[in-house]
Amino acid sequence: MLARVANNLFWMGRYIERSEHIARYLNVNYFSSLDAPNVKSQDRQFVLRSMLFMLGDPEKDDAKILKEEDVLFSIGLDTNNPFSIISTVKLARENANSARDLISTELYEAINKFYHFVLNYPKGVFVKNGLHDFTSNIAEMTAILRGKIRGTLLHDSVYAIIMMGINIERATQITRMINSKYNDALLSQGSHGDKFSKSFEWTTLLKCAESYDMMRRFYKKTPTSISTLEFLILNPNCPRSVMNSLNQVNEHVRILNPEKRYNKESTGFLIGRVRAEYEFKYIEEIEVDIKAFIENILDSLVKISDKVDEEFFNY
Amino acid sequence: MSNEYKITYKTENTYDNWVNNAYWQFLIIPMENDTQHDVNVEFSNSLFADNDYSINGFGFKTIRVHPKIKFKQINFEAQFSFIKDDIDPFDFPLDLDDTLANERIKELDFKIDFESFLKRTPLTSLPEGTSTNFEFNSANSIFENLQNLNDWTFNYIQFKAGVTQVDTELKDVIASRQGVCQDFTHLFCAMSRKNGIPARYVSGYLNQEHGLIGDSQMHAWAEVYIPLVGWKGFDPTNNIMANTNHIKVCHGKDYKDCAPLKGIIYSQGQNKTKYSVKVQSQQQ
Amino acid sequence: MANIENQIFSSYQKNPELYDEIFDSEGKIKEVYQKLFDIYGEHSISDYVNLNSKAKASFFNQGITFQVYGDNDVQEKIFPFDLFPRIIDPDEWDIIERGSIQRSKALNLFLWDIYHDKKILKDKIVPIDLITSSANYLDQMNGVNPPGGIYNHISGTDVIKHKDGKYYVLEDNIRCPSGVSYVICNRTALKKALFGVFNHYQTHTVTNYAENLLELLESVKPKGVDVPNVVVITPGMFNSAFYEHSYLAKTMGVELVEGRDLFVENDFVYMKTIKGPEKVDVIYRRIDDQFIDPLEFRPDSALGVPGLFAAYKKGNVTLANAPGTGVADDKAVYTYMPQIIKYYLNEEPILNNVHTYHCSRPDELKYVLEHIHELVIKPVDEAGGYGISIGNTLTKEEIEKVKLEIKESPRKYVAQPIMSLSVHPTYIDETESFEQRHVDLRTFTILGKDKEFVLKGGLTRVALKRGNLIVNSSQGGGSKDTWVLKK
Repeated sequence: MLARVANNLFWMGRYIERSEHIARYLNVNYFSSLDAPNVKSQDRQFVLRSMLFMLGDPEKDDAKILKEEDVLFSIGLDTNNPFSIISTVKLARENANSARDLISTELYEAINKFYHFVLNYPKGVFVKNGLHDFTSNIAEMTAILRGKIRGTLLHDSVYAIIMMGINIERATQITRMINSKYNDALLSQGSHGDKFSKSFEWTTLLKCAESYDMMRRFYKKTPTSISTLEFLILNPNCPRSVMNSLNQVNEHVRILNPEKRYNKESTGFLIGRVRAEYEFKYIEEIEVDIKAFIENILDSLVKISDKVDEEFFNY
Repeated sequence: MSNEYKITYKTENTYDNWVNNAYWQFLIIPMENDTQHDVNVEFSNSLFADNDYSINGFGFKTIRVHPKIKFKQINFEAQFSFIKDDIDPFDFPLDLDDTLANERIKELDFKIDFESFLKRTPLTSLPEGTSTNFEFNSANSIFENLQNLNDWTFNYIQFKAGVTQVDTELKDVIASRQGVCQDFTHLFCAMSRKNGIPARYVSGYLNQEHGLIGDSQMHAWAEVYIPLVGWKGFDPTNNIMANTNHIKVCHGKDYKDCAPLKGIIYSQGQNKTKYSVKVQSQQQ
Repeated sequence: MANIENQIFSSYQKNPELYDEIFDSEGKIKEVYQKLFDIYGEHSISDYVNLNSKAKASFFNQGITFQVYGDNDVQEKIFPFDLFPRIIDPDEWDIIERGSIQRSKALNLFLWDIYHDKKILKDKIVPIDLITSSANYLDQMNGVNPPGGIYNHISGTDVIKHKDGKYYVLEDNIRCPSGVSYVICNRTALKKALFGVFNHYQTHTVTNYAENLLELLESVKPKGVDVPNVVVITPGMFNSAFYEHSYLAKTMGVELVEGRDLFVENDFVYMKTIKGPEKVDVIYRRIDDQFIDPLEFRPDSALGVPGLFAAYKKGNVTLANAPGTGVADDKAVYTYMPQIIKYYLNEEPILNNVHTYHCSRPDELKYVLEHIHELVIKPVDEAGGYGISIGNTLTKEEIEKVKLEIKESPRKYVAQPIMSLSVHPTYIDETESFEQRHVDLRTFTILGKDKEFVLKGGLTRVALKRGNLIVNSSQGGGSKDTWVLKK
C-alpha cells in the first residue's frame, strides 16, 4: 500500500470517528440538559460552553452571552470552522476519495451518502429543530460505515490502518469528553448539595459514550466519578473505553508490522508500553489527579499518532 | 599532440527556508568523442546524497541528486580530468566542389535526416520580417558562407553579460544587439538553418587561458553539418572555429536541450546560487 | 410523419433530414429495436421520470462525478446517463471493430516509422511538416524501441454515422483516451433500472475491459522482469477523469499512484509504500507527455516524476501509451489516415475518413471553390476550432470573402464535407419526453504485440442540446449504454 494512501485511510478513520463523537456529544448534552436535576446543568449557557470546550474551542470570555443558534451552526454546519462536523465529514470523504481504489464500492458509497447528507442538510432547520434528527442520523450513518469497514474490506493492511485511525481517535475523543465533563462536574457541584462524585454529569458522560446501559449492568449502581472513569478508561470490555481502544490499536499494528520483538523506535513498541501502563493501573491512582491523567493520556495518543506517521507514512 | 585538461565545477546553493524535497540534474560531464577521451569524473555534494549517474533523453551523461533529508544549503563540486587532442579545424579539402553539397541540402532525405537541426525552435526563430544585413552568397562555398556568418554574428552582437537571460528570444537580442555566448549561438544557428544548413547548439567549457571571450561558467558555440565534410564547430562569440580550447559536453536544438543544471525545488522563499568553473590545461 | 403507436413515443418528432438510428426513412421501427421499443412502450412516461431520477441519484451516490469549479465553490456533477440504449447489430459492429484495429495498427507502425527510419516521409506519402510543425513530436523518442514495439497500447476512436448510413471516423485519440469507465457504469445503471430488457437480447459484456488491459500491460513489461508490478498514474483527485483512474486501478487490482508517490533511483522507478520502496515496472499513465518528467519536459510540472524518462529510455520501466504518441493524433495526420493505412498494411481503410480536400492541390482547390456551401473550411495550422467556416451557414458575401482568402493562400486551408451525425431517441429532462439527439461512438482498442482487443460496446455520447453537433461532456453531453449484439 502506498504510504500516502495509508495516511489518507488512517485519517479517514479518524474523521469518521470524530464526527460521530461530536454529534453524540451535542445530542446527549443538549437533550439531557433540558430536564437536568439541577439549575446549573439546565442552564443553556452552561451547555453551550461545554460543547465548545469539548470541541477544543472554549469560549474564554465568561461574561459573553452565547447565542444558541450561532453555537449550533458553528459546531454543526459551519464549513469555515475546521472543527465542525461538516468540515470533519468533508475531510473524511476527501481522504476516502484518494484511496478509492483500495476500499470497497459499498464503503465508498456509504461515505459518499454520508457526505451528501451532511452537505445538503438545511441550515435553518438544523439550528431551529433539526439537532436531534441531524445528530442521530450521523450516529446511525457512522455505525453503517463501521459495518461496511468490517464487513466489506479485506482484513489486511488497509483494514488495519483504518482501524488504527478509528481507535486512536476514539480514545482521544473519549478522553476529551471525560475532560469536558470533568470540567462540568467541577463547575456544577454545590447546587442542591450535589457533590462532585455524584454529579449528574457522569450520567451524561456515559450517555455521550453510548455506555450508560452497559455501565449500569456492570456496576448495578448510580454512576459516580470513580465508577464512570474506571468504566470508560480501564474496563477492557467496554467497547468505548480507552483501554479497549488501545488494545485494538495494538492488535492492528501487528498486521502492519508482525515482528515479535519490536525495536524501541517502532509504533508497536510505543503502543505496547502505553497499553501496559493502563493495564496495571487502578482507578484510585487516576483519581488523585484526574487533570494530570487526562493530559498524560492525550499526550500519549498524540505520540502514538506521530509514531504511526513516522513509521508508515513517511518515505 | 594532446592536452591534459582539468576542470573544476562548483556550485553553492543557499535557501531562506527549509527545502523538504529537491531534485537536481547536472549536464556538465565532458563527452567522450573523437578528440576527448579518458574522461574521469569525481562528483560530490555536501549532503552526502547519492549521485545518480544517468543518461538524458538526448543521450548525454547526467548526474542526478535527490537528497533524502531537509536542508537549507547544499554545495556541489565536480572535477573532470581528460585528454583533449589537438584539433585542426581546417582538416578537410578547402577547395571542395560544392555543387554536390548544394544539391544534397535540397534533397528531401537530407531534410528528414537532419530535421531536428533544421527546424525553428522558440529560441532560434528569427522574427517574421527581420531584416538582417547578412545573406549567403551563392558564389561562395558553404564553408565560406559559414565563416562569413561567424564573422557577421561576432560583429552584430556586442558581448555583454546581464542583458539577456537563458530564455531570451532572438527578437530581443536583435533589438538590443547585446548578449552572451548563448545569444551568439542561437543567432548563428537560426541563420544557418534558414539557409538549409543543419546547425546545433553546443554546450561546453572554454579554456580561457589564451584570452578567449566567454562566461566564467559554461560556454556555448555551434556545430553545422556541411555535406561531404561533416559536423564543424563555429564559435561566433570569438569569431573562430571551435578548437582545442572548446570542451564539448553536449549538443541540442538550442539552450533548452543543453541546460547544464536543472533543479526542481520544493521550497518557498528566496535562494542564492553561486557558480565557479576553472579550466586548466597542460600540453603533453 | 408516420404513426407511432407507442405511448412514450407519441410526441417523438422526427426530422426527415436526419438519420434516425431506430426509425427507418419511412418511420418504421428498425427490426433490431422492435423488442426494446415494445417493452419500453409498456411503461408510461412517468415511469421514466422516476427511473431517470433514480439513475441520477445512483451515479451521484456512487461518486461517479466530475467537478465544476464555480466562483466560490466546487460543484459535483454527474455525466448525464440516458435510459434508452443504443443497439449495434453484429454485422455493423464487425466493421467498427475491424476498422478500429486497423487504424490502431497503422498508427502504431506510423509511430515506429517516424521515430526510426521515417520512410513514409522519404517516400513522400505524408509531408515532413507534419513532424517539424508538431509540438507533440518528441525528439527524445528518436531511435527508442518501446517494449513489444507498441506505442499506442490504448486507442480511442471516435466514429459517427453519417446520413448516408455509413460510419466515419472523426478522430483518433491515442494520448490518454478516457471514457471507458462510463461504458461499464452505464451498463450497470441500465441493468438496475430496466433489467427486464436484457432478457430479450444477447448482448456482449463490457466488464472484461480491465482484465484485458492488465494482460496487455503485463505483456509489455521491461526485459528481465518476471512478474511486473503495474501501476496507474493519475494527476490526482481533482482531475475530471479521476473516477476513471481509480476505477481502472481498482478493477485491475493495482495501485493508483500520483507523481509524488514515485521516485527514481539508479534509473529504476520505485513507489513509496508503508513497507518502504517497491519497484514499479509498468506505468499506465494518464498524464500527458509534457508533464511526466519535469527534468526532461515541462519543468513546472508538479504531476510528474523527475528522472522517469531516463528510466524509460533505459528500458527499466514501460510507459503506456509510449511518450510521443501524441504526434499521431494531430488533426493534420488524420487527413492522411487512408494513405497511412495503405502504406503500412497494404489494405483499404475499413472505416471511412471524412474526405479532406487540400486546397494546395489545384484540382481540389477548384472543387472547393465550387462547393463551398456544402463544405467546412478549416485552416490547417489553427487548433481548437478557430477560423472554421461552415459553408451552409455563410451568407453570399461571406462565401465570396472565404473564397478570396483561400485563393490568396491555398496552402493554409483544407476543406471537408459537412457531416451530419445520426440521431437517437433520448430522454430529455426538461420536456419529460423522448426526443431526437445527435450521437457519436468512441471505441476502445487495446493493442499488444500479439494482442488486439476492442471493447464490445464503446461509449455512445449524446449532445443533449437540441441540434447541437458537439457531444463533448464539457459541452453538456450525456451518454448511453451501447449494446453490441451477439451473432
